[in-house]
This record gives sequence, C-alpha cells and structure tokens, in this order.
Amino acid sequence: MSRSTAAQPAKLPSSPRKSGTTPLKLATQTLMSATSIHKSYRKGTLEVPVLKGVDLEIAEGSFTAIVGQSGSGKSTLLHLLATLDAPDQGAVYFQDRQIDNLPSRQREAIRNQEFGLIFQFYHLLPELTTLENVLVPKMVQDGFFSYLRNKRAYKKRAADLLEMVGLGHRMTHRPSELSGGEMQRTAIARALISEPSIILADEPTGNLDEQNGDEVLETLNSLRNQENLTVVMVTHDANLAQTADKTIRLVNGKVV
Amino acid sequence: MYKLLLSWRYLRTRFIALASIISVTLGVATLIVVNSVMSGFVFEMKSRLHGILSDVEVAAPLLGQIHNPEYHTDVIRKVLGNDIESMTCVVRNPALLTFEVNGRQWTQQVMLLGIDDESFGKVTDFHPYLQNTHKREQFSFNLEEHGYPQWVANGCKDWIGESAWDYRRRKFQKIRQAETRRLEQERLYDLAAAEYLEQQAAKSRAWDANQADDSSATASTAHYDSVDSSEQPIAASPATFIGPQAPDRSSAKKSMSESGFQYVPLPEKAPDFAALHAQRAETASETKPSGLTLAPTHFSQAGGKLRELRKFSPVDAHARFRDEPNVEEFFNPEEDQYTGIILGLAIAKRKTIIDGELTDFYMVRPGDDVQIMFPTVGGTAKPISENCTLVDFYSSNMHEYDSSFAFVPLKELQKIRGMVDPLTGDASVSTIQIKLKEGANLDEARDKLIAQFPPESYPYDIHTWQDTQRPLLSAVNMELTILNLLLFMIIAVAGFGILATFFMIVVEKTKDIGVLKALGAPSSGVMSIFLGYGMALGLVGTGAGVILGLLFVRYINQIAAVVQMITGQEVFDPAIYYFSEIPTIVSPLMVVLVGLGAILIAVLASVLPALRAARLHPVEALRYE
Ligand SMILES: Nc1ncnc2c1ncn2[C@@H]1O[C@H](COP(=O)(O)OP(=O)(O)OP(=O)(O)O)[C@@H](O)[C@H]1O
Ligand SMILES: [Mg+2]
Repeated sequence: MSRSTAAQPAKLPSSPRKSGTTPLKLATQTLMSATSIHKSYRKGTLEVPVLKGVDLEIAEGSFTAIVGQSGSGKSTLLHLLATLDAPDQGAVYFQDRQIDNLPSRQREAIRNQEFGLIFQFYHLLPELTTLENVLVPKMVQDGFFSYLRNKRAYKKRAADLLEMVGLGHRMTHRPSELSGGEMQRTAIARALISEPSIILADEPTGNLDEQNGDEVLETLNSLRNQENLTVVMVTHDANLAQTADKTIRLVNGKVV
Repeated sequence: MYKLLLSWRYLRTRFIALASIISVTLGVATLIVVNSVMSGFVFEMKSRLHGILSDVEVAAPLLGQIHNPEYHTDVIRKVLGNDIESMTCVVRNPALLTFEVNGRQWTQQVMLLGIDDESFGKVTDFHPYLQNTHKREQFSFNLEEHGYPQWVANGCKDWIGESAWDYRRRKFQKIRQAETRRLEQERLYDLAAAEYLEQQAAKSRAWDANQADDSSATASTAHYDSVDSSEQPIAASPATFIGPQAPDRSSAKKSMSESGFQYVPLPEKAPDFAALHAQRAETASETKPSGLTLAPTHFSQAGGKLRELRKFSPVDAHARFRDEPNVEEFFNPEEDQYTGIILGLAIAKRKTIIDGELTDFYMVRPGDDVQIMFPTVGGTAKPISENCTLVDFYSSNMHEYDSSFAFVPLKELQKIRGMVDPLTGDASVSTIQIKLKEGANLDEARDKLIAQFPPESYPYDIHTWQDTQRPLLSAVNMELTILNLLLFMIIAVAGFGILATFFMIVVEKTKDIGVLKALGAPSSGVMSIFLGYGMALGLVGTGAGVILGLLFVRYINQIAAVVQMITGQEVFDPAIYYFSEIPTIVSPLMVVLVGLGAILIAVLASVLPALRAARLHPVEALRYE
C-alpha cells in the first residue's frame, strides 16, 4: 500500500454525530478516522461501557494527542484504532478503507506494515538483541527465504534507525542490559522499521523519568519531522498535549 | 523466521528446556538399552529353547509308535512340499539312568532319544552343543580318543578331567589288576589250604598208624611236633582230637579244612604276578586248580572284532539279556565299548568345593559305563536294562534339556525296545521331526499336517517347537510387552514434563506473544513457535538419547564390569544366565520407532500450550506489565 492512495481526496462517510467542535484542517488529508465507536467490557453479567460513541479524524502528517483521566478509555481507543481489538459498534477507517472488520490476515498485514506501535512498557523480546528486536516486524512480514534474501538490506535499515535514535553502540545488547529510555528508543526504531504511515503510541514516556522522557519525545519529534510521520499519542503530560496539532480529550467515554 | 529464531532462543536460554531435554534423552536411552538387551536375551533364549527341538514334530504318544515311518515321511513331503529343509525319525521314551558314583548307585529319570547319526543334526542344533570337538564335525556314537575339553570358563574351574579311551583303559586296567590280585591271592590261599590239607591228611594217616600202635601219648606229641609253630592257633583245640575214642577220620579232616582255610595268613609281600602267570600256565596244562575258573586270561585276548558278537538278535530283542554271561565273556572293557550314549551335561555335573574353590565335579565322564532301563513297546511292556558307554556330553545351557536328555543310536534303540518287526524287518519310530526352510510359516505347516493326520484317525500329536515351549515363550513375550509399556510411560512422564514446562513458558511469554501479535504475527505463527520448540526439544532429546543408548548398548559389558568394580556386586552373573556376556541386539526399526515416538510425544505435549498461546488476545496479553 502506498502513500499515493492516501493523497486522494478523502471521502469520509458523513456522520450525524460529527462534532463541529473539531477544527478542520482543510489543507491536509485524513489518514485515519473512527466513527461512533462503542466498546464495553463485560464483567460477569455486568456490562461496563468504556467508549460510548467516539468519533475522530487524524490528518496525515499531524501529531494528535489523546488525553483523559485514567480509566477513561484512552488505551482502549488506541487498541481499536490499531485493530488489536474490534469495536462493538462503529467503524475504523484507514486510508478510506474500513479496517476493523477485515479478516485477521489483512489486519495483521496492516498492523505489520502500516502501523508503528509503541507501548508504555516498551515490550521488547528479552531473548533478542536490540538489533533483532528492531528486525522482528520484518521477520514477521517475510517468509523464511525472502527474509534471508533481504536480510542485508533490513539489517542496514535497522542499524541506521538505531543510529538515528542514538543507540548505534548498543546493537548487540539484550533489553535487560538497557535503560528504560534506551529500551523505549529501541521500541521506536522497531515501530519505524517497516516505514509505517502512522505511529500509535500509548504513553511512551509514562514509565520514564523526566529526562529520559524528554529524550524519547525529542527523538520522536525529530523523526516525525524527518520522515513526515503521522503520530497518535496517548499521554498524561499536559505540556506535551499543548504541542500537539490536535488534542482529543476523553471524558466518560466520549470525546469532548 | 521469527519462529525459528525464537524457538531456538527459548531453547538456548531456558534451563527448564534443558531439563525437558534430559528427561527425553534418558527416556529414549533407557528404551533403547532395555529393548536391545531384552531382545538379545530373548533371541538367545529362543535359540536355546529351539535347540534340539525341531521346527515341527509329528509325535506318537509317550510309549506309542509310528509304524511305517517311510510312508509318513512321504506323505509329509507331499503335504509340505518345498518348505521342508530336512526330516529325521526319532524314538523317544522315558528311561531310568543308573551309574555308579564312588561305589554308590545313582539313578535318575531321563528322556531317552534314539537319533539317527546323519539326519538328526540337520534337523536340530544338536552337533554344536556337543562337548567333544571331533564329534561336532564328524558325529558318531563311538568313544573318541581325543577332543574332550579340559576347559576353564565361567569364572569357576570347570574341570572335566580325564576322559575318553585313555581314561577308560586306565580305569578298567586298574579294575582288572585289582581283580587279578584278588584272584591270585585267593588261589594262593587255595594252594596253601590244599597243601595244608595234604599235610594234615598225611598227619592224619600217621596218627591213624599211631592209633594202631595203641600209644596215645606219643601220638599226641607227634601231632604237635608236626605242626608248624606259626600255625599253632589253627590246631587250637587239641581236645577235639583227644578222646577216649578215636575220632572219625573224615569229620576230623573236614573240621581241619575249615579252620585251615580261615587262618592261612596273607603273604608278606605282593605276589609276583608274572611268575605266577607262568606258573599257572604250567600247572593249568597239568592240573586245573579248583575254584579258579575265572582266570584273567580272557581279558587280554578279547578284541574289537568280538564286538560283533554282542549284536542284538533282530528276532528276539531280549535274547541278549537272557544269557548275558555269554556276551560278557567276550567283552573287554579296556578295548570295547557298549552302545554309545550321550548325556545332558547337567545330569553328570555337580558343583563341589575343593580347597575353598567352587569346582565342577563330574559324577560320570566319557568312558564310563552306565545302565539304562526302560519299557519295551506294545501292550505288554516289559522293563529292560541295557549297558551303555558314555561317549560325550550335550550342553545347550538350557537346564531343562541338559538335565533330562540322553541320546543313543536310533537303530539300537529300535531293536532293544522291540520296535522292529521280526518278519519284515521294518522298524517303527515314535517321532518324525521336520525342519522347515528359513522363513516358512511353522503354524501353517503344523495346521496342514494336522489336516493330513487328523486326531480322529491318527493318535499323533503334531506341534511346533513354539507350541512345546508356549508357556515360557508367551511369558517372555508378555514380559517384553509390559516392560515396553512401562518404559513408554517413562517417556510419557517426560511428555507431561514438557507439557507443564511449556505451559509455564507460555504464561511467562504472554507479553511477548502479545507483542508479536501486535506486530502482525498471525496466530498460526505464534503457535508454530511453540510447536517448533517442542519439536526441537524432542529432536535434541531424542538425538542425544539415541546416541547415549547406542553407546550404552555398545559398551554394556564394560559398563557392567565398572559397576561391579565400584559396587562389588556382580551385575551379570554368567553362571545364572549361561551367557558369557550380556547379549544385545539393536534393531534399527526399534530405534527409529522409539525416536519417532519420543518426538511425537514432545510435539503432542507442546500442542496444548501452543494452542493456548495462539488463542491469547493481544490486548489481554499486553495489558498489564
Ligand atoms: N478486559 C477488560 N475487562 C474489563 N474491563 C476493562 C478491560 N479492559 C479495560 N477495562 C476497563 O475499561 C476502562 C478503560 O480502560 P483503559 O485501559 O482504556 O483506560 P486508560 O484511559 O488507558 O487508563 P490509563 O490512563 O490508566 O492507562 C477501565 O475502567 C478498565 O477498568
Ligand atoms: Mg492506558
């Protein structure tokens, strides 16, 4: 899937709930959108609604922050956007295509090639070195032989990415030998290896001290500028939310 | 790619994986070792059990007979056709075996087999088990000059000692010499007695003359004077002679002859036999000394050709026993042998302790004579007894056989037992033994023969060697099956170990599984990580197990020796098992099956955890740290 498709004029399905409060940036194309998303968790017989009709649009090349109180459903929303989970109601669109109801094979392919995921707890594989961790999405994408064929190119790109996040000297280290910031920067490199269209990050600095968090954000910012990335980030950091092109605030399962 | 990489990394970094591998390894190695040793044992045992049993046997009941064996063999040949390798006729009947051990009689029951020199060895493994090396190559029922082993084996002094003709000659020479000595002494006593009697007779005559002179005192003195002082006690009671009346002459002579015969002293030194022989030869021509009819001459003059004279009468099987002395007269045990007999080694061999060492003691040995007693055939069976010369031992190391079988020539046994028709000369047998070609189906052959000789019309018992040993064989087979089952449970335990280990690893790896799925890995990929992990465990464990097991089997005797050295406990006692070392047979099929089974179990054990991993919801997996 190429970016050129995304350059076509977006034909978003009109939604009656589409709120006018969201400022529309006409200059940019919508890369991803969600309409009327409902999601609830079942606890025994008790149904706990988490999202009660969320609509959002994410423009290409923008930096969107999702904020809200703890337990307001930020992570849930991000997971739905990333197709890790399916909404009870509503739809998720990516490049004008509804993706939440695709067969798992295709959703996996989109996750693998179009999305770059970053988590609060880094989620690196402890048995693999930094370099191998960065290469995992490529290993997942390719079959055994095509991976071996392309291994050299992949390794080069992974090394370049690690260099970019400032970990050129840590390539053969295990995650257990890295600091939290280094691990998160490795995770960023991993998210970028497949040249994704969009980065979905869930509190990437939530587990880091201020200095490390700033470093990570800096890295992310510079990469965003370099590669013209679209970033959706869940955060608690009000200052960070200030710098975002757009802030989505979740209250009681709704966007306010 | 990530599947392989992760499987490999999990394998390398998990100590618990090592434990699983070791359990698989040990299970596989144990199965291979035990199976190899067991099949080695079973093979050895089977060949021993088979030993002198033929493949298939048509047998008459215990004392019955199969008449016209030629007809039967023809029929069998027609029925079984090309399956037949060879056939032989055997007479088999229970018998009592008697021999002397240090002057005491030893009697025991044996199964007497009359076998054909030529064909019996072709049907059964008879010859290799004979102890005499010549007989193994060139079989006969003659006592050999050489070839009896004086071997030392099995950890104890196994001493058969003197055997064969040398032994027999020396033995009977000694007996003859002793007998000769005895006879010569008896003769000397007789001569001395005769001389004495002669003297006494002379005295008596003189005494008679004195009586006639009516001078009793002088007569008495004269009597004393004439008696040799050394023989004084002989004339112990002069009162017998002194009386108012003259004693009857004949009665006096009688009493004197009695007392004289009793009190003749032994000669000081051993008599010179050569001189005595010469003297005897002289006197023999003139006067024959009374009571010496058993002169030793015929011991030396009898020869091998006289053996023919002992041949049995085909008309009257018992003739030989009715006038035995006739036969004995021409039989010189120093040069002749009776009918040869071969006994199971265990009949003769006993253990004894000499100088604190366990030593074999042979109650009889080749060259000795034994007697066998058995009934004749037919409705009015009569017991008959027959002398035989032990010519060799048979040792298959199957105690059941070695302690009960005795072999004699078929033709002789047929004659003695009265199995030969006096009119036609046709001989009946009691068993027809058949050896089938390699790979022929024994049970099928047996069934064909039963169909040919149905029990309704023929009183025969038709069975294969396996039928005969069925209880033992099935016990062994059952043992083998149960052992395999139990051992397979060891691998199953290893399998459950893998299962538990894998569940643990899956739980431990929940987060990683979530990450992989988030990064786009399909469920099947995640599953194959764990299946591959199980497979790798199985492969590595099995490979190590196969190598370990084969090495163990290869060096099992050395290992047994080392264990024995360390513990001081004998691991493998050859005396109990009759094998000099632990027999092993490695069947490639068994190794392959065990290996595949182990890998399969490892994979199966990893299926459940792998499924669980595949079903994990990525969000659930990622949610909590
Ligand atoms: N699997 C689940 N079962 C039941 N309830 C769930 C489940 N997952 C989430 N929830 C509930 O949904 C709500 C939203 O959860 P979510 O993780 O999206 O919150 P959040 O906004 O990301 O909070 P935080 O800022 O602490 O990360 C919470 O109240 C949570 O208890
Ligand atoms: Mg959250």
